[in-house]
Amino acid sequence: MLTLIRREIRDNIVYFIAAVVFSAILIALLTAAAYHFDLSRSAVFVRLSIPMLVILVLGFSAMGVTQMYMDRNRRISAFLSALPVTRSRILWARIVAGLLAILIVLVPLTIAAIVLGRLIAPPIPILAGYIADILTTVFLMVLACYCLGLLTGWTANKIAPTFGALGLNLVLVSLVFVKGFGPDIKFLLVLVIVACLIRTWHKFMSTSL
Amino acid sequence: MNDNVIKVENLVKYFDGRCVLDGINLTVPRGCIYGLLGRNGAGKTTIIRILLGTEPATRGRTFLLDTESTNLSPAIRGRIGCVAEGHNLIQSYKVGRLIKLCKDLSLQWNDESFDHLMETFRLPTDRRVKDLSMGMRAQLNLVLAMAIDPELLILDDPTLGLDTVARRQFLELAIEVIQQQGRTILFCSHILSDVERIADRIGILAAGKLVVDCPLEQLKERVKKLRIIFPESPPENLYLTEIVNQQIHGREMTVTVANWNQQKQAILETFKPSSCTEIPMSLEDIFIECTRPGAEPVQVA
Amino acid sequence: MQIRIDNASNRPVYRQIIDQIKRDIALGRLIKDEKLPTVRQLAVQLAINPNTIAKAYRQLEGEGIIVTRPGAGAFIANLDSNLSRSVRKRLLSDELERIAVEAFHMQIGTETLLELFNNAVEKLKVPPKKPPSEVHKGEKSNE
Repeated sequence: MLTLIRREIRDNIVYFIAAVVFSAILIALLTAAAYHFDLSRSAVFVRLSIPMLVILVLGFSAMGVTQMYMDRNRRISAFLSALPVTRSRILWARIVAGLLAILIVLVPLTIAAIVLGRLIAPPIPILAGYIADILTTVFLMVLACYCLGLLTGWTANKIAPTFGALGLNLVLVSLVFVKGFGPDIKFLLVLVIVACLIRTWHKFMSTSL
Repeated sequence: MNDNVIKVENLVKYFDGRCVLDGINLTVPRGCIYGLLGRNGAGKTTIIRILLGTEPATRGRTFLLDTESTNLSPAIRGRIGCVAEGHNLIQSYKVGRLIKLCKDLSLQWNDESFDHLMETFRLPTDRRVKDLSMGMRAQLNLVLAMAIDPELLILDDPTLGLDTVARRQFLELAIEVIQQQGRTILFCSHILSDVERIADRIGILAAGKLVVDCPLEQLKERVKKLRIIFPESPPENLYLTEIVNQQIHGREMTVTVANWNQQKQAILETFKPSSCTEIPMSLEDIFIECTRPGAEPVQVA
Repeated sequence: MQIRIDNASNRPVYRQIIDQIKRDIALGRLIKDEKLPTVRQLAVQLAINPNTIAKAYRQLEGEGIIVTRPGAGAFIANLDSNLSRSVRKRLLSDELERIAVEAFHMQIGTETLLELFNNAVEKLKVPPKKPPSEVHKGEKSNE
């Protein structure tokens, strides 16, 4: 399993490097925003976070698509299935690699947010809850878009469905901003994730290689 | 150990309504080198794909190492080395990286074997797979299949693209493998001289059926081609069993018959032929006769 | 030991090996008590299935041409021993019967047949052990 994960990471190293870089950028932005925080500039903060979120979401969706598309293009699982590995392990390794990349971006960000929160703002419980809410929703949203990317990458044969999936991603992002970070949006995102994964699993396991 | 490593039971396969395999029954015992022959498109690759579980059968079952092909676990697959059609490799990787991937994922890897194979074939490890010649890719496939010390080797046209020296090297490697205890090899080839050298049993696939399935040494002795000249026109029916093929040219009849014996000789004599000579047949000749359209299967034990 | 497999031949591989070993002995290239390569060695050397070679060796042993000594390997037999000789005489007379039948079918007469036989013997440069008249008698009685 470890070998398979290592292989996934190495093949998609670009995304992992981008994740690290992006993580650093986000932390820098967050720190800057925190130290210059005052109500008049909160609008700027919000306006800045939207494009960041979009980049994040599109980036991971692209990663999902790339992983699956490369597999089909370079016949990677066709080769691997001749070896003593099960197809499910190949898929799991792929998802784990994706998760790892997402965590590389979000975990340092979370830690930075917590640290900054402790350092700067007074210990308002609501603030902590608020941060937790935002980060969980962001995590779920990114994961949902990643899973959409996986599904699209494996099942789509033309460019058009890929753009369709892209559109879906943007719909999801806008949904979050319309409905806020509440529990109903989280539920919806979890549904999307589960649905995508089940369909991807089914398709991956049954395709003749 | 006399178990059957490969078992094919009543295998039927249809592709788009066309029948490619029509009831194939085959067993390969442990320790045997089985050569599967057939013309292009006869279905050899299809049988191998079904055996390895990459293609589903329409009807019938196949077994590798006592496990059904649709149910091959990684533990079983780790004991089977295969070179499949198309030499499926990850083209974008460097040779060294591909080898390391296989080694890390394999259940057993014989470093000594591997070094010996790399030395024999002299493959460059720092070149990308897509930059190798076809023959070198074929050799790489062989290396990866053999380095895992497999109990069973399934090779679909393993010498495709290999130069003369490499082909000979492959044959020698196959002999080395078979000399080890309990190994079995199933391979398809168009190069009959290679098959004749190393196979114990051969099977000839034609028109969806296994028309020949017997030990190789018996084949030449049991299948005979006779040129029979009759004083007048040849009889329509010789009432001989096991005629693989017959052709008539004027007063001359050429008959390819299996399991020639004294009874058949006696039956032939009743038709009072002017002469009856045997035409010697090489393996290639036998193959051509047995794969003619309309040829009857040869029942050789 | 040089053995060449002829793929265009109608003789099975093991028979070709047997024929060539016998030929080498007849030509003096293999002598009494000479050690033959083991089945394994010959299999790898010629890239031929070891079972085929084993079968050839077994048959040669059955004909008394080679002997296998356990632990030591296969050796060219002492061709002058009586047991070996009688086995070989029997086998040769079977072969000669077959040739006589062939000749009949091919409508080749006795004189021509004997001429061909003498030519073949000449090629081997093997001095006949018995005077030619006795060989004649053997041939005639087989018809």
